[in-house]
Amino acid sequence: MSSNKYFKHEGPWSDSNDPLMCSDTGDWRTKRPVVDKDKCIFCGFCAIYCPIQVMEMVEESYFSPDLDFCKGCGICAKECPKNAISMMPEGDFKK
Amino acid sequence: MTEKKKDNLTKVMDYLKHEDPFSKGVAFCPGCGLELLLRFIPQVMGNDIVITGTPSCSAPVLLGQNNQSWHTLSYFGTLMTGAAANATGLARYYRKAGIKNTVVCFNGDGTAADIGFGNLSGAAERNEPFIYICYDNEGYMNTGIQKSGTTPFGATTTTTPFGSASKGKNLRRMNLALKMAMHKIPYAATATLSDLDDLAKKLLKAKEAKKRGFAFLHVFAPCTTGWGFAPENTIEVCRRAVKTNYFPLWEAENGKIRMTKTVKKPKPVSTYTELIKKFAHLSQEDLQILQDDVDYEYCMLGGLSLLEGECRLPASLED
Amino acid sequence: MITKVQKKSQIKVITGNAAAAIAAKLARPDVVAAYPITPQTEVIEQISQFHANGEMDCELITVEGENSAMNAVMAASLAGGRVFTATSSWGLVFMYDAILAAAGARAPIVMVNVNRETPGIIAVSSGQQDMISTRDAGWIFLIAEDCQEVLDLVLQAYRLAEDYDIQVPVMVHYDGFYLSYLSEGVDVPIQEDVDRFLSVLKTQPERTKLVPGGRLGCGSHGILGGYLELRHKHVSAMERAKAKFQQIDKEYEEIFGRSYGGLVEEYRMDDADVVLVGSGSMCGTIKSVIDEKREEGVKAGLLKMRMYRPFPSEAMIKALKGKKAIGVVDRSLCFGFKGGPIYTELKAFETKLGGSKMISFIDGIANTDITKINVATMIDTTCDLAAGKNVREVTWVSYPEAQEEGGL
Ligand SMILES: Cc1ncc(C[n+]2csc(CCOP(=O)(O)OP(=O)(O)O)c2C)c(N)n1
Ligand code: SF4
Ligand code: SF4
Ligand code: SF4
Ligand SMILES: [Mg+2]
Repeated sequence: MSSNKYFKHEGPWSDSNDPLMCSDTGDWRTKRPVVDKDKCIFCGFCAIYCPIQVMEMVEESYFSPDLDFCKGCGICAKECPKNAISMMPEGDFKK
Repeated sequence: MTEKKKDNLTKVMDYLKHEDPFSKGVAFCPGCGLELLLRFIPQVMGNDIVITGTPSCSAPVLLGQNNQSWHTLSYFGTLMTGAAANATGLARYYRKAGIKNTVVCFNGDGTAADIGFGNLSGAAERNEPFIYICYDNEGYMNTGIQKSGTTPFGATTTTTPFGSASKGKNLRRMNLALKMAMHKIPYAATATLSDLDDLAKKLLKAKEAKKRGFAFLHVFAPCTTGWGFAPENTIEVCRRAVKTNYFPLWEAENGKIRMTKTVKKPKPVSTYTELIKKFAHLSQEDLQILQDDVDYEYCMLGGLSLLEGECRLPASLED
Repeated sequence: MITKVQKKSQIKVITGNAAAAIAAKLARPDVVAAYPITPQTEVIEQISQFHANGEMDCELITVEGENSAMNAVMAASLAGGRVFTATSSWGLVFMYDAILAAAGARAPIVMVNVNRETPGIIAVSSGQQDMISTRDAGWIFLIAEDCQEVLDLVLQAYRLAEDYDIQVPVMVHYDGFYLSYLSEGVDVPIQEDVDRFLSVLKTQPERTKLVPGGRLGCGSHGILGGYLELRHKHVSAMERAKAKFQQIDKEYEEIFGRSYGGLVEEYRMDDADVVLVGSGSMCGTIKSVIDEKREEGVKAGLLKMRMYRPFPSEAMIKALKGKKAIGVVDRSLCFGFKGGPIYTELKAFETKLGGSKMISFIDGIANTDITKINVATMIDTTCDLAAGKNVREVTWVSYPEAQEEGGL
C-alpha cells in the first residue's frame, strides 16, 4: 500500500489550507534598515518597493521593517526620498 | 497620524487592494525584481487568480513541496515548453463550466521568448481568454545565467562570455512585446518596477481585456545576481532603463499603440549600462551598437504609435 | 467476442477514425484539443464538424501543434474537465514531454493514437513503433482490433481513466490505415446508454480539482520521500487498473451487449496447442487463418492483447500456461533484444508458463501487410517449434533477407 505521508492526494498536489512554508530570510541580512521616524514623511515608497513587502505601517505615522524576513537588500533606503532609512551593519546589533 | 502625513502616501498603495498571498520568507536573492513583481500581481489583481509557473527562478516559490505551498494561490506547475497551452486548457475549461476565473500564465523570458514562444504565439493567435505575463530578466537565470532571446547586445552571460573573440552577446535582442502586439490581441503592454502605478493600471487593464481574449504583459524585472548590480539598485536600474528608452513603457489596446510614459529628453544608454556589470567590458563603440539598437526599437515603436485612427482594430470579434 | 442483440443502437458503416470521433462525441467531453496528422486527421475533422453543427458542446481548441494539444487537455483535465485528444506517430512524440507530465500529474485524459511508424519522416506507414516508444510514460494503453472496438474502447477508457481508484490517463491505440480508413459496420450506441454507462463516475468521490481560490496547487515538487511516494501510488493505480478494466468490460456488456474478455481476448484458446500472441488489426487476419488451420486439424489459438500497459502478465500467464508453443507477433522493434518488444516482455514470465516454448515474429512494420500467408507461415513455424524442430528465435516474416546466414 502506498502511504499518504507526503501527499494527501493521488497526484502532486499541495494544499495551502495548511500552514505555508517559510524560511528565516532575516538570517541572510548583513545590513539592517533603520528608520528615522522624525525624517519619515510617510510617503510609503520604501513599502511599495520592498521586494518582500515587509515594510509595515506603524500607527499610520512611519514604516518599519519586519526584521524576521527583511533580507537587507537596501532598496528601501535607496528609494526613500528623505534619506530616512540607514543601512547599519548587522554586527552592530549583536551583543 | 496627522492628516497631512497621510496625504503623502503614494497612490500606488490604493492599487494594493488584496493581501500578499506569499509566505514572508521565500528564497529569492535579496533585491530580486522578480520577487517584488510576484508579490505585487495578486495584491492588485486578487488572490483568486490561478497562476501557472514553469521551471525558472520563480518555480521554487510558485510550486510547493510535497503537500505544502509557499503561497495561497491556486497554481499549476508545468513545463517550459507548453505553459501557454496549459493556461489555455484551464481558461477554456473554466469558461465551459461557467467558473469565473483569471488565469495568469507567469513565465520568464526563457519560456516566453524562446522555448515556449510557439505556444505563446498560438494562444495569442487564437485569442485565448487569459493573461500572459513575461518577467524579463534577460536570460536563463535559474540554470546559471545563460543567454536568451531577450539578452541585449553586449551582455555577458555564461554562454556569451566576454573574451578576445567575443564582446559578450554578439547579437541583438528581440522585441517580444512588439511581436506580441502584432498578434492583434486585445491588450499588450510593457511595464517595469520603477513605475508601479503604471504596472498596476496595466494589470487591471489586462484583467478587463481578458474578457475579450488574450492579454500580454512584458515586465522588465532586473536580476541583481545575474547582471551584477548592487541589490539596492534594482528600482534604479528599472528607472534608468525607462529614462534611456532602453525599456520604453507603452501599451497596445485593441491594436492602438500608445506610450504610457514619454521621456522628454532620453539619457544615453550608458547611464543605464554603467550600473550593471554585465556591460562593464563594453567600449564606446560597442555601447554605440547598443544605443543604435535601442534607438531603432524606439523609432519603430514611435512610428507605430503615430498610426492614429485609421489603424484601429475592430474592438472584438465577439462583440 | 459475444454479441447480444441491441434494439436501440444503430449499425453504421464507418471508418475507425469516425468510430473514434463518434465515441468522443458520445462521451460529452468538456474540452477537445487536437492537431492534424495522417492517419488521424479524420478524427478531428469529424469532431470539428460535430462542433460546427452544434452536436458537440465542448470547447474545441485548434492548437498550433500536438505539444499544445496535450498541454491544454492536461490542464483542463486537472481543472476538473472531461477531455479528449487524438494523434499519431510524430504527433505523439511531439507531445512526449507533456505526456510524461500528464501521467505524473495523474490527469485522467482519454486520447486516441492511430499507430504509425516513426522512422520515416514523410513515409506514412503502419506499425506500432510510436506506441512502443512511449510505453513507459505511465499511461494505460489499450489496443483495438476493429472499428467497433475502437468505439467501445474509447468509451471504456473514460470509465477507466476517470475512475476515482485509478486516475491515470488512457491511450487507445489502433492501427493506422488498416483501421483508420477501413469502413465496416459499427454498432453505434445511443446517447442515453452511454450516459448511463458513464454515470457511475458521478457516484464516486470527486477527484482533486484546480479551482480559482481553491488553495490547491498542482505540480508540487516531491521531496525527501515524496517523489517516491508519488511513483509508488502511480504503480499501484496501474496495478488496480487491471481488475478495474475487467469489471468495466463486464458492465459494458450489460449495457451494450458486447464483451471482449477484459485485458486479453482469447480466441479458440481452450484446446489450443500452439498460440499466436497479437494485438490490433492483425488479430482479425489471425482469427480467420486459425479457422482455416483448425479445419486442417491444427490446434491453433490466438491471445489478443487489449491492454498493453500495464502489462497484463497475470492474464497472459493464465491463458498461455501449458501451451506447447507460443509465437509472439510484434509490429515494432526492440533494439538489442532481437525479438520484438512484446515478445521480450513476455519472455520475462517464461518460467511461469509451464514449459511453453516461445518465438518472435516481426511483421507489419514499414508498410508491410500482415497477410494471411504470413500468418499461416507463423502458425506453421510455431507448430514446428511445438514439434521440437529447430526454428529461429526471431523471424522477420516479410523480409527473408534477415534470415539469411549471418542474420539475427
Ligand atoms: C525543456 C526544458 N529545457 C531546459 C530546462 C532547464 N531550465 C530550467 S530553468 C531554465 C531557464 C529559465 O529561464 P527563464 O524562463 O528566463 O526564467 P529565469 O530562470 O530567468 O527566471 C532552463 C533552461 C527545462 N526545465 N526544461
Ligand atoms: S520612503 Fe522614507 S519617507 Fe517614505 S515612508 Fe519610507 S521611510 Fe518614510
Ligand atoms: S532592506 Fe530590502 S528587504 Fe529589508 S525592508 Fe528594506 S527593501 Fe525590504
Ligand atoms: S538569480 Fe536573479 S531572478 Fe533569480 S532569484 Fe536571484 S535575483 Fe532573482
Ligand atoms: Mg529569465
